[in-house]
Amino acid sequence: MRSNILYILPSVLLLVSCHGVLDDLYDTPTESIDIREGQLYVDASSWLDWYYIDFNTANHNAAEGGTSSAFVKYAIPTEELSNSNPQPSAPGIYTYWYDVFGAGLSNHEFRGFTSTAAQPEPDAWHIAVHRNNVRTNGGAAYETSYTSMYDLPESSEAFADATFTPDQWNQLDVWTIREQMLQGLIGNQGIEVNPVLSSWLKVDIPPIPPTFTLNNHVFIVRFDDGTFAAIQLENYQSPAGTKCCLTINYKYPY
Amino acid sequence: MTATIYKGKREKGKVRNLFQLSSVWGILIFFTFHLSLFTFPLFAQAQPLDSIHYLNDVVVTGTRTPKLLKDAPIQTRVITVSDIEKADATNVEDLLQQEMPGVEFSYAMNQLKHMNLCGFGGQGILFMVDGDRLAGETMDDVDFTRLNMANVERIEIVKGAASALYGSHAGGGVINIITKEQTQPWTLNLNARLARYNERRFGGAFGTKGKQLHNMLNVNHTFIDNIHVHNAENPATQIVSTIYGDRTWNVKDRLTYKPTDQLTLVGRAGYFFREVVRTADTPERYRDFSAGVKGLWDITAHDQLEISYSFDQYDKSDFHKINRLDVRDYSNVQNAFRSLYNHYWSTGSVLSVGTDYMHDYLMNKNLGSKTASQSICDAFAQFDWLIDTHWEVVEALRYDYFSDSKSAHFTPKLTARYQPIDHLNLRLGYGMGFRSPALKEKYYNFDMVGIWIIQGNPNLKSEVSHNFNASADYTKGHYNFTIAAYYNNVHNKLTTGVPHYLPGDDKQLYLDYTNLEDYSIYGGEANVQARWDNGFSAKLSYAYTNERLPKDKEGHTINNQYIPARRHSLTARVDWDKQFTSNYGLRLSLNGRFLSAVKNVEFVDYYDISKGTNTVHYPAYTLWKFSAVQRFGKAFKVTAALDNLLNYKPQYHYFNSPLTDGINLMVGVSVDIEKIK
Repeated sequence: MRSNILYILPSVLLLVSCHGVLDDLYDTPTESIDIREGQLYVDASSWLDWYYIDFNTANHNAAEGGTSSAFVKYAIPTEELSNSNPQPSAPGIYTYWYDVFGAGLSNHEFRGFTSTAAQPEPDAWHIAVHRNNVRTNGGAAYETSYTSMYDLPESSEAFADATFTPDQWNQLDVWTIREQMLQGLIGNQGIEVNPVLSSWLKVDIPPIPPTFTLNNHVFIVRFDDGTFAAIQLENYQSPAGTKCCLTINYKYPY
Repeated sequence: MTATIYKGKREKGKVRNLFQLSSVWGILIFFTFHLSLFTFPLFAQAQPLDSIHYLNDVVVTGTRTPKLLKDAPIQTRVITVSDIEKADATNVEDLLQQEMPGVEFSYAMNQLKHMNLCGFGGQGILFMVDGDRLAGETMDDVDFTRLNMANVERIEIVKGAASALYGSHAGGGVINIITKEQTQPWTLNLNARLARYNERRFGGAFGTKGKQLHNMLNVNHTFIDNIHVHNAENPATQIVSTIYGDRTWNVKDRLTYKPTDQLTLVGRAGYFFREVVRTADTPERYRDFSAGVKGLWDITAHDQLEISYSFDQYDKSDFHKINRLDVRDYSNVQNAFRSLYNHYWSTGSVLSVGTDYMHDYLMNKNLGSKTASQSICDAFAQFDWLIDTHWEVVEALRYDYFSDSKSAHFTPKLTARYQPIDHLNLRLGYGMGFRSPALKEKYYNFDMVGIWIIQGNPNLKSEVSHNFNASADYTKGHYNFTIAAYYNNVHNKLTTGVPHYLPGDDKQLYLDYTNLEDYSIYGGEANVQARWDNGFSAKLSYAYTNERLPKDKEGHTINNQYIPARRHSLTARVDWDKQFTSNYGLRLSLNGRFLSAVKNVEFVDYYDISKGTNTVHYPAYTLWKFSAVQRFGKAFKVTAALDNLLNYKPQYHYFNSPLTDGINLMVGVSVDIEKIK
């Protein structure tokens, strides 16, 4: 009898803990970001900012072995201009209702416009990111079938015959004002974005919360000065799981 | 501003049609049922049964001592193993909705389930498994998916305040799930069920029984896809477009050791896992680890001592697929010690005295300090006085102490049972219930997706309720009739109050936990059931619930996240069972439920409360299920069921609508390996 009691009790009493058991099942996210050579990390989770990336600065920082950022942040203007004069493709906040609980984002209605100042930009930049949106500085983009930077052809000449897509006007995707999001009302910045590059992170609704789908293909970007860059989105989450924290692989010039 | 929203002609038409449909079906069922009640006996073969068998089952929840159901001094509703088998329910939510009127499950934010049982939400109903509390909550409800129906012997439901025996959170009643004892030398059951939306359910139960040791191991797995549902245009409030499926694993083992006839030791351990894929890259995970030991010692023929320890830990985490990190953001750990002494007089009277101690630990990223804990201890005494063959009186008193608030509660209970004639029981009772503010309600600080910040309130008082109930049941021959009525008056109801701005800040809304007044519920139930020896059985239950919604201190009706109880609800079941040969048997079952329409006050605009509230209309609905179970030999069962037989689809899938997408075919098989010859 005693041996049987000893069989039952220890297995249970071993589990006794006021603060619980089996902590090892879980992970604690680290604060540090490990970046390899040819990689950038941008926390682009803010709804209200664009982050401008200059690959020359990124290369310089890498050569110096430094950790300083290769991007600068510029806020999206949201303050209404007193003497606003709406024009086609005017800078401002375009408020749309989206059928977020029904047909999804494809079903939407225009609900209002607030004229704002134009988006400020730095003097030198190559691409800018805002959550899942990407712009180029007068460039154009092409999506390759490659999923690894190491497998790319030696240079961009291999894509000389490819069709590159320039930035296009967009007033539906740069979600900026979200105070009434649960009612389907979102204020979007009207601005040119690159639809090909922006496809590296797709956001779908429904369901709520949105689904994020990573496209890990390598993109080739042709800039105004005739230079090329190869870029790839490797991860869109921070170590703590925050969405739109972008780990970007890049090769510039390519 | 208050207005009533109707959803246009189509919706009104649909409601009217549904009413008409419900009426037609209701009349059909009513007459079918009554026809069955009074004509089936004409076809009955041989002698009538003396009683409805399950009334001789032993129940324990009402008094914490074993009582025959027909003699229980506290009105107890039992869902038997036979009911559970007929319902073919996966978890307690499926089962309660099919078997009991007055029960409805809806969604809280984030699609976590909220229960309304006769006007009491999950925070007022105490769920237990074999008498042990469950850790963890979401929006104050336990995780119902962890309460699967595998290896359940019966479910005992005691409505009304049971705090004098069970302490906090039992103001609306107790639902006690009693698991099976192993009775055969060995058993091995394997079962599977498939249904629409890739729904899969697999189960296995392996039991052994020796001279002194019994063991029962259960393993269950379920899976169902996310379901995308269609909604009409212009909904009146927030709708659901995707019903999230889940994947669960549930493993339980219970070892019983009887070294002598007087001593029984029980050890148990369990693991539960559930994953919901709301976002493909960050599935949400829920885990529970449970364990316990219990000793039952029959000291003498008149004295019994029970001592137990139970451990329950409920965790929530997010799995970051890309980073391969499983990050926990919630953990509730309960360590509970219990002791109970019963003295049985030869006259049938019983004295019960006991004490409990529980350490309650909460880790929640939305708590101000991330963690909080408290100790809860209590002592109680109950005297079950069997005065004579006609009268029985039960008095109980309990004292609870909560270390966090340094508060104490006395809760009394008094119940009388009178049997004026054979087969008739009359019961009258009063019970005080209370709910001490949970740690979350005191220390929470949660930004609810930009709508408002939910704030805890350390100064909350305990919610106190007074429950008055009366019931009568009559059992004779094939029939059992029960009627019951109750009134609950709740003071200082614990809930979230009216959203408000802080002085000097007109942008950020806050929603504080608070105590409300003027809350009461009254209602009643009527049940009739019958069983004949020609294989037919039938059951009809009706519940009326009138929930007088809580108001703020100024007497204003406030918005309600959840709909109030539907005023009228009904469940019905007709079964026919026949064993054609020694190797083939068939059971046909039809069961359904009807719930009347209800209105709820909700904000017009969650972001602009100055727009006031709307009264949103939720239409009536009825759901029916037909099943056929074929038995081949003694070992094999094949089940085919059509759920939602009338193919009811809500026009709008609101959080408080029945979450169904029409008719569903379910096919299952069950094999008792030990019975294969």
